[in-house]
Amino acid sequence: MEVIVTKDSQQTTASLVGSLDTLAAQQIAPQMNELKDFEGTLVLDCEKLSYISSSGLRLFLMLRKAAAERGGKIIVRNISNEIRSVFMMTGFLNLFDIQ
Amino acid sequence: MLSPVKYIRQSLSRKLSLWIVLFAAIIFNIALGIMFTRSLDEIHKEAVNRATQILDNTTLRVNSILERVETATDNTDWLVVRHLDAPDSMFVYSRRMLINNPELNGCSIAFEPYYFKDRGRYFSAYSYNDNGNILTTQEGNLHYEYFYMDWYLMPKLLDSSGWTEPFFDYNPDSIYSKDMIASYFKPIKDENGEYIGTFAVDISLEWLSRTISAVKPYPHSYSMMIGQGGTFFVHPDSTKLFYKTIFTDTFDNPDPDITELGHAMLRGEEGMRQLRMEGKDSYVFYKPLGVTGWSVAIVCPESDIFGGYKMLQRIVVFIVLIGLLLMLLVFSRIVSRELMPLTQLADQTGVIATGHFDQKIAIDGRDDEIGRLSQSFGNMQQSLMKYIDELKQTTASKASIESELKVASDIQLSMLPQLFPPFPERKDIDLYAKMIPAKEVGGDLFDFFLRDEKLFFCVGDVSGKGAPAAMLMAVTHSLFRATSARESDPSVIMRTINETVCLDNRANMFVTLFLGVLDLPTGRLRYCNAGHDYPFAILNQPSAIDCLPNLPVGIIPDMKYAKQEFMLAPGTTLFLYTDGLTEAMNATQEQFGIQRVEEILVSCGEKKMSPRQILESVLVGVHSFVQEADQSDDLTMLALHYTPGEFATILNEKITLNCDLSRIPELNDFMISIAERLVMDETVTSQVRLALEEAVVNVMNYAYPEGRKQFVTVKAMSDGHELRLVVIDAGIPFDPTSKEKADTTLSVEDRPIGGLGIYLIRELMDSINYERVDERNILTMIKNIK
Repeated sequence: MEVIVTKDSQQTTASLVGSLDTLAAQQIAPQMNELKDFEGTLVLDCEKLSYISSSGLRLFLMLRKAAAERGGKIIVRNISNEIRSVFMMTGFLNLFDIQ
Repeated sequence: MLSPVKYIRQSLSRKLSLWIVLFAAIIFNIALGIMFTRSLDEIHKEAVNRATQILDNTTLRVNSILERVETATDNTDWLVVRHLDAPDSMFVYSRRMLINNPELNGCSIAFEPYYFKDRGRYFSAYSYNDNGNILTTQEGNLHYEYFYMDWYLMPKLLDSSGWTEPFFDYNPDSIYSKDMIASYFKPIKDENGEYIGTFAVDISLEWLSRTISAVKPYPHSYSMMIGQGGTFFVHPDSTKLFYKTIFTDTFDNPDPDITELGHAMLRGEEGMRQLRMEGKDSYVFYKPLGVTGWSVAIVCPESDIFGGYKMLQRIVVFIVLIGLLLMLLVFSRIVSRELMPLTQLADQTGVIATGHFDQKIAIDGRDDEIGRLSQSFGNMQQSLMKYIDELKQTTASKASIESELKVASDIQLSMLPQLFPPFPERKDIDLYAKMIPAKEVGGDLFDFFLRDEKLFFCVGDVSGKGAPAAMLMAVTHSLFRATSARESDPSVIMRTINETVCLDNRANMFVTLFLGVLDLPTGRLRYCNAGHDYPFAILNQPSAIDCLPNLPVGIIPDMKYAKQEFMLAPGTTLFLYTDGLTEAMNATQEQFGIQRVEEILVSCGEKKMSPRQILESVLVGVHSFVQEADQSDDLTMLALHYTPGEFATILNEKITLNCDLSRIPELNDFMISIAERLVMDETVTSQVRLALEEAVVNVMNYAYPEGRKQFVTVKAMSDGHELRLVVIDAGIPFDPTSKEKADTTLSVEDRPIGGLGIYLIRELMDSINYERVDERNILTMIKNIK
């Protein structure tokens, strides 16, 4: 599981690559924590994310809470149908700007 | 037409006056009776006195005249004897006799034939009174040989003076009338005492008759005189005179009374007799006339003596009768007028009795009993109206309560499951239940529902009946639902219900409750019984399920209810009921009894009946037993048939991991390999994988809090149609199915970070089921893969 972070003046983009199971979530947690302090817009690119467990969702929610506190914006991009359905079940569709 | 008795009975005034008049009549009757008897005596005495006195007077008068005749005769007698030598002087004496005694009719001084030789065969100096002229003659001749006459012969034969019987003096030459006369005679004797002739004085009896007849003490009374032979000499009926005696009539018609009277009079007795004379009841007073041998009698008809009295009696009786009638009339009027308010009261209360409670009762100002009565009735009516008003209100409010009860009944029934079969999509359970309340609302309850792969069911009976029982039933039912939503242990559910029911149980009501949780995949039945009737498990034969004798719910707040369990064999039918079944009573108060229930269940088991058929045949049995008797208690039954489907395993894999998150990829690989073997599509695979990971991570994170690393086992089974994933751990008891569903609608700020795992499992899988068996948590997750 990899998180590739790219930043420009406008936005920070985090590309999630691999399968975000519980173990992976544990592994990327420090990286994700760092992202809490993002400037401008945070784009979470899920094009290469094949799977997400509740631990992964938890990280997403953590970032979303941080953004809400600081007034930042989070965009979730390119999610697969499977992950979209998980987002739907959990009500995350209403919490995130999905593109 | 009323009968007289009824007519009198219907009116108090008639009755009262009739009694009064009856009483008065008795008093009058006695008084008048005494008066009449006494006056009858007095009148009788008076009549006797009067008649006797009159008779005495009469006889006195007659006697005095007769005595005068006798005295005059005696006074002249000696002259005749002294002057026997001068026959012509006899004419002088006879004449002087008449002159001195004008009442005399005649006087004869008669001698034996040839006593005076010179005067021949006949010598009788006779003077008589012809209307005041006194004529003197010699009366003896060839045609009137006087010495054969009674008046002449009697002194000669009797040798004493006396009176002849009255007779008609018939002298062919006689110029005087044929008067009836009687003669006083006296023998004339010479100095030797030899009889030589008769001195006879005649007296007209017309005078005597007049004197006696004049005696008339009563208008219809009459007098009579009989001679020495009983011949009538004085009698108002002139045809009887001389020719008939007092005995004549008795020859044809014997009458001992008259015969005796005649004899008494002839004997010269004095007295009074009461007898029937000539057809009339009469009193006869009789008395002899001096020495003549005659007897005088006065006949007084009773009708004369008592006539006035009888008339008076009739008048008095008439007056009394009229008086009594008037009294009856007047009393009846007075009493009925006095009782008028009573009659009105009777009419008015009659109207009130028909339901017109506002009928006015006239209350007059009387102080007597009637006044008080009408006053009381007035008061009573007031109270009655008030009471009726209250009753109306009570009835109205009762009616509203009843309609509310109806609503309550509807609500109550709607709380219980009503759709049968309840789980048409499931092949493993068939269930049928029924509650028949004895009243509008009942105290029985049953309920069941499926949560995950568990069937929760209960049957209960609240003590008492009606609304209070129904309310507790509703409470119990709600508690059962609420508690079972997150708790699968029947004893815990029971405890929770018990605690809550005990909290405010002021009415001291209680509930007997059987509570069961059937794990459908395994057939494990857990149950807890709180004082309820033991259910039956029917597998060919019915057998009562063994139950601990727990107390009913609502008695002891901290009662420790214990659960029991056993494995329900496939094909078993559970039969639960309330005591309304066993205690159903027929008209003779006999109870249906457990025996009969069991008998029916035996035949149900033999016929392999469905739950619905079982309930129906039990109901038929109860109805044919109870017949027309009222249902005494609520009746509830629940039957549950368990037939788990055969699971033809084509896959059976197992993986055991220690509780380390680093083992998760292994788990995922395990899952993916299974998905490949079962040719599951990507979406389903992803869903199942996520659910399994969440379940396992859950165990790894929380099942062993003490840090001691343990294991988690995952079993995967499939029959090709569905995939069963079973997660087993030996950690602390944890029922993920009892967790509250995560709220996915909350805002970012309110969303908790955790809690999504179990939610996801439930959402992703078709059904999940938790069991704790042998100190292990067993979570079964099922997904249809085709």
